[in-house]
This record gives sequence, C-alpha cells and structure tokens, in this order.
Amino acid sequence: MSGRTSAVGELRHTFRTPVNHIVGYTEMLLEDLPAGDEDHRAPLKAILDAAHDALAHISAVLVPSEVPATDAVRRLYAELEEPQARIIRAVTSLMSAHDLGETATDDLRRILHAAEQLRPKVLDADLTAPPVEEVEATDEQNRPARILVVDDVEDNRQLLRRRLEKQGYEVLTAEDGKQALAMVEQNAPDLLLLDIMMPELDGFAVLERLKGNKSTRDIPVIVISALDDVESAVRCIEQGAEDFLSKPFDPVLLKARVGSSLAKKRARDRERAYLQAAEAVASAAVAVEAGTYRAGALASVSRRSDAVGRLARVFDAMASNIRAREQQLHERVRALKVDIAKAREAGPGAPAAVPLPQTGERVGGRYEILATLGRGGMGAVFRAHDFELGEEIALKTLRKESIGDAAVIERFKSEIRLARRITHRNVVRTHDLGEWEGGYFLTMELVEGITVRELIDTRGKLSVESVLAIGTQLADALAAAHAEGVIHRDVKPHNLLLDAEGVLKVMDFGVARLSERGGAGITEVGLVVGTPAYMPPEQLLGEEVDVRADLYSAGVVLFEAVTGRLPFVAASPMALIARLLQEEAPRARALNPDVPEGLDALLAQLLSKRREERLGSAGEMRDRLAGLA
Amino acid sequence: MSETKLTTKRVLLVEDNEMNRDMLSRRLARRGFEVGIAVDGRSGVDMALTGEFDVVLMDMNLPEVDGWEATRLIRAGEKSERKRVAIIALTAHAMQGDREKALAAGCDEYDTKPVDFERLLGKITAVLAAAP
Repeated sequence: MSGRTSAVGELRHTFRTPVNHIVGYTEMLLEDLPAGDEDHRAPLKAILDAAHDALAHISAVLVPSEVPATDAVRRLYAELEEPQARIIRAVTSLMSAHDLGETATDDLRRILHAAEQLRPKVLDADLTAPPVEEVEATDEQNRPARILVVDDVEDNRQLLRRRLEKQGYEVLTAEDGKQALAMVEQNAPDLLLLDIMMPELDGFAVLERLKGNKSTRDIPVIVISALDDVESAVRCIEQGAEDFLSKPFDPVLLKARVGSSLAKKRARDRERAYLQAAEAVASAAVAVEAGTYRAGALASVSRRSDAVGRLARVFDAMASNIRAREQQLHERVRALKVDIAKAREAGPGAPAAVPLPQTGERVGGRYEILATLGRGGMGAVFRAHDFELGEEIALKTLRKESIGDAAVIERFKSEIRLARRITHRNVVRTHDLGEWEGGYFLTMELVEGITVRELIDTRGKLSVESVLAIGTQLADALAAAHAEGVIHRDVKPHNLLLDAEGVLKVMDFGVARLSERGGAGITEVGLVVGTPAYMPPEQLLGEEVDVRADLYSAGVVLFEAVTGRLPFVAASPMALIARLLQEEAPRARALNPDVPEGLDALLAQLLSKRREERLGSAGEMRDRLAGLA
Repeated sequence: MSETKLTTKRVLLVEDNEMNRDMLSRRLARRGFEVGIAVDGRSGVDMALTGEFDVVLMDMNLPEVDGWEATRLIRAGEKSERKRVAIIALTAHAMQGDREKALAAGCDEYDTKPVDFERLLGKITAVLAAAP
C-alpha cells in the first residue's frame, strides 16, 4: 500500500465506522421488536435506509486505492448531511416515545452519537465550509422581470407590451381589475402598470385589494392614468402606489420609473430573504434551548454567502457540539446519581459544637430557622423560612472570629454584590447579606442535596464518569462566575452541592473574601482559615490571585474525587504548606489506574505550581473535560 | 462431525473500538455464541493461544500489534499444537487484494466492515464446519 492509498483507507475507515455502528445497533433493535410493532419498525427502517444511502455516497467517492479529489470529499461531506438529518430525526422521534426500555434507549443514544460522527469533525476545518452560493444568482432571480399591464383599452395594452418587451421584460396583460387580481395571484408579477379608469373594478379598487393582502402588498404598482389632476395622483400614492404617470406618457420617463421600481423591489426582496434567514437562525436558537434542534436544520440559510449564512454555519456547528456535550454530560451524570444515592443511604456527617441560632429562632427579623443543614469551618447552614418572600431559603451564618477588619468587610460586601449577579444552573444563587449577633449571615437558594465532601467521605474514590460529571459542571460554574469578574477563592468539596438529579451547585462565591487579612499568607499561618489543601501556592503566599487559582482548587477537588485522597498530605498544617509549595503533585493515574490518560494529564496541568502552566480559563477546562471520551 | 459441535461455540472478538465490541459481542451472544473479548492485538494473541476459542474475529486495523501481526503470531504460536483456531479477518478498508493478503497471513476467511451480520454469521458457520 502506498502512503497515499493508505491515507484513503484511513479516510474510508473514518467515514464508514459510524455507519457500521448505526447499521449494527439498528439491526439489533429491529431484531428485538415484537412482530407487528410498526410504530417502532418504521423509524428504525428509516434509519437503516438512511445509513445505506450514506454508505452508498461514501463508497462512490472513496474507492479503494484511488485518491479522491478534495472537491469530491467536500461533496461527500455535503451529501452526508441529508441522510444524517434523517437518522437524527428518526432517532429523536423514537427517543421521545418514552416507551422503550433502558437498553433500547442506550442503543439509540449510541446511534445518535454515531450519526453525529457521520460527518467527522476532524475534517471540519477544511471541508465544512460549504461551496458558497451567491444568493442573488439563483435562476429565479436571473429571469427577466415580469410586468403585468392592466388597461381596458386594447391599443394601450399593446403599446405598453411592445415597449416593455423591447426592453427585455416579460409582459402579461389584463383587461380589467378582476382579471388583474387573478393574474397577480397566479403569475406573481414583479411590477404592475395599472390604469385607473376601468369599468366595474377600477384601478383604485385593485390597488386597495393588492395593498390589503399580505402576499401581494409588496408588489410595486405604477399607476398610468388619463386623470392628470394632483388629487388623483395623491390618492394613488396614499393607497400605496409606487409612482404615478399621466397619459400620454413619455416613453423615456416610463423606462426610468419601471427600472427604478424594479430595483427597489429587488432590494426589498433581498431584505426580506435576509430577515427570514435571520429569523430561521433565531428560531434555531430557541430550538437549541428547548433541546429540539436537529443538526442541518439551517442548511438552506448556511448556503448564503453573507453574514447570516456565516452565522448559520457557525451556529449549526456550535449547536451540534452542544448537543454532543449534553449527551455526554447526561451519560456522566447517570453514573454520578448512583454514587449520590448510595452515599445518601450511608447518612449525614457529625455535628459541631458552636453557638448557633436555634430552631424556631428569628434571624434578621425576616428569617425563621427551620432546621440545621450542615456545619463547617466558618459557620453553619440552616433551612429557614423567609417571611418576606414566603419561601424556604438556605441561611448561612459566618462566625465572628472568621471576620477581619473594616477594609476586609468592605471588600467582602462588594464581592457579595458581584456574586449576586451570577445566574447559572451550577451556581447557588446568593440573595441577601445581613447581620446577626455581631456576625454576618447570607441567604441563598435552598438546594436539597449532599456535598461532594460527604460523597467522597462515604464513597471513597468516585468513578471516573462521576468525576467527569462533577468536573464539567464545576468548570461551567467557574466560567460563569469568572465572566462576572468573581473569583471563588475557596473551591473545595464542602462548597460543592449535588442535588438528587446529579446537578452540581457551587456555593459561597465571594465568601472567602471575609477570611482574608491584608497580606495574609504563609507568614501568618495561624490565620489561614480551614485547610490550605485546596489552595494554590500563590494564594498561600498571599499574592494576588486570578481565575487560575480556582482552576488549581478545582484540580485538587477532582484529584481527590478520582483517587480518594488529596495530592498532598502531611502531619501538620506547616508541613503540609511546605509540601504544597515545594513538591510536585503525584499523578492521579499512579494512584488509580482507571484514570484515563487525558484526565491524568489535565489534572497534572491544573495542579501546576506556576499558574502560567495551568489552563488559561475555566472554559478551556470544560472543553478539555468534554474532549475526554 | 466431532463431538465439540454439540457444545456452545466460543468466539474471540479482537477489536479496539468500544462500540464495535459492544455491538458484535451482544449480537453474537444472542445467537448463542459464547464471546470472549480482547481489546488489542497483544491480548488477542494470548487469548487465542489458550485454545479455548473456536473462532477469532480479528479486526485488522488495531493500534500497535495490528491484526496482520497478531494473526502471524497466533499461527506461529500454534505450530507445535494440532488444534488450529479459525481466524476471520475484518477490515474496513476493503482494499483490493486484502482478501488474498488475509488468507496468506493465515486467516481462514475475510469480511469487510460495516459488518453485514448475517453474512458474517454465514462465514463463521462455514469456518466452524470446515474445522477438523
């Protein structure tokens, strides 16, 4: 095999593998169908047909030992769009039927996944740019303009016809108003030349009907009339006529006005098509939000050569990615839910002994404590009733001794104001900051769930899938917060809540500011609140931190979750800090061989001592996690 | 025919693609085969040489030790023994001459991907029937 033909082999392999999967799983599902179950058989057959069509396209272009032209591969890429859309449509309809078993649903998901690979992403860069068509250059728009002449006098009609045909227009004629309306309906002219004085339905009446009908009101009308008084002209223009010419008309003037009316109409048509295309993209965005977008739905808009076309192409690619990611997250969260359910059976952690508001007590005049949810280093969290809003919220007290000087409190308050702006499904919403017995309390969205701390404590190390589910959602939350200019500064398993659905919620954005002292760090070790285990070196050293501090902490959390232990352990806080500053973190894969190489490398990078060596943003972290198979 | 015909036939699937493995092993299992799985060429060779399998479905396009090499290693390892396992090569490339090449490398049959399951089943049955 020469290098070139073996590259063709690779290409064939890349294109054919997803088809192989689609056919195999679909045939299996068909084998399992009870006889007579036509409801499910029809869409499965449709998938199979589409897969065979896709295969036929692939085999036609990628012939063994023949190097295909780039154009041919590009065409293949475009040809696969249609069967791909058919497969996705059929799978989606089957999945929405809800009456399939879990195995069948899993298999459909695999088919969907394979369908998404049908136009392999590796080729995106050089092949997805579709052959751009000039919107204006379609046949419909290249034909000569069609003009309808409406006049009750035969000679007038013939005169106009001859003149206009000489100028290259296609001319239709109507001898009265009724006939004119019928022809407009049938022939969709680009312009009407309309006489006013006609028996029965006169020009005014025709104009009124044309302009009153949504489908005809945009056809320009030039009135040509023997009525040469200003009043008639004004009336025509007011009723929507484009122009007014009085008989006998000057042929040069007629030519100029016809030309200008048609040019305006073409511009309007283009504008309308543009708006329709923009509308299609907008409704696609709605469909993405509703989870009903199917790949390729914007195909016709994507072929436009202008900005909307480019938007549609980018949008379609992004939507496909989002869909694939949601699918992936869904799979991962399933594994996580199993872990959560098992940890819940194991029961809650131990209580602490700190003076705290009692059940039934009112805090800040507005909140009644209902129950204790948890206790931590800086305070405790309660379920409380908000009398003002009439709903249940979570209330967190922040212990007096954890509060610093006036400047720190100011910074803390402004940070909380910033944190209140973060709206994201993976971030616990912060509501209100108040004072209680010389300390502070924060109210926030009530999330029923367990913390990742409890999860790790009861389950030990978590499955790779669970860890990826946590990591992806954590990265999403951090990206949203960082976009609002908020750095968490205290990402740790205690601050990560998981509800029963596996949705991760990060809490305490901004709270860490409260425990900061001016220049605090290793020189005042006693002042470091809680464990430094999750803090990056620059934070321990009291340097200014940026988003990469959160990425380090997130790395420690994921490391702990996937290995069941922290990257650094020591007998005393001082020894721990020394290790944190000096030693390289061990590799997660060395502690747990199940950790895939990609995750292992990502964690090592997140745990870099030098922040320049970490990732640049939470978005990048999310992308890296999503890229792990 | 020998008495082994009465027992369940054991198929070893050597395949690095997870979805292909899942799909083929499930489809074979529901047709009454007992299926063993190797995820790469090296373990495929080791498992094939245990003598526990009646037929090997060998993906030729494997990383590191590919199907061609694995087949040669199996045949080399078998030299001393009388029991020779049937090997069916599976390739997605379908290059001209692949079939001849597969047979020359020591395979008993050859099929292409995407797998036409019924056709593959026919080939499995055929090589099993031809086995001593």
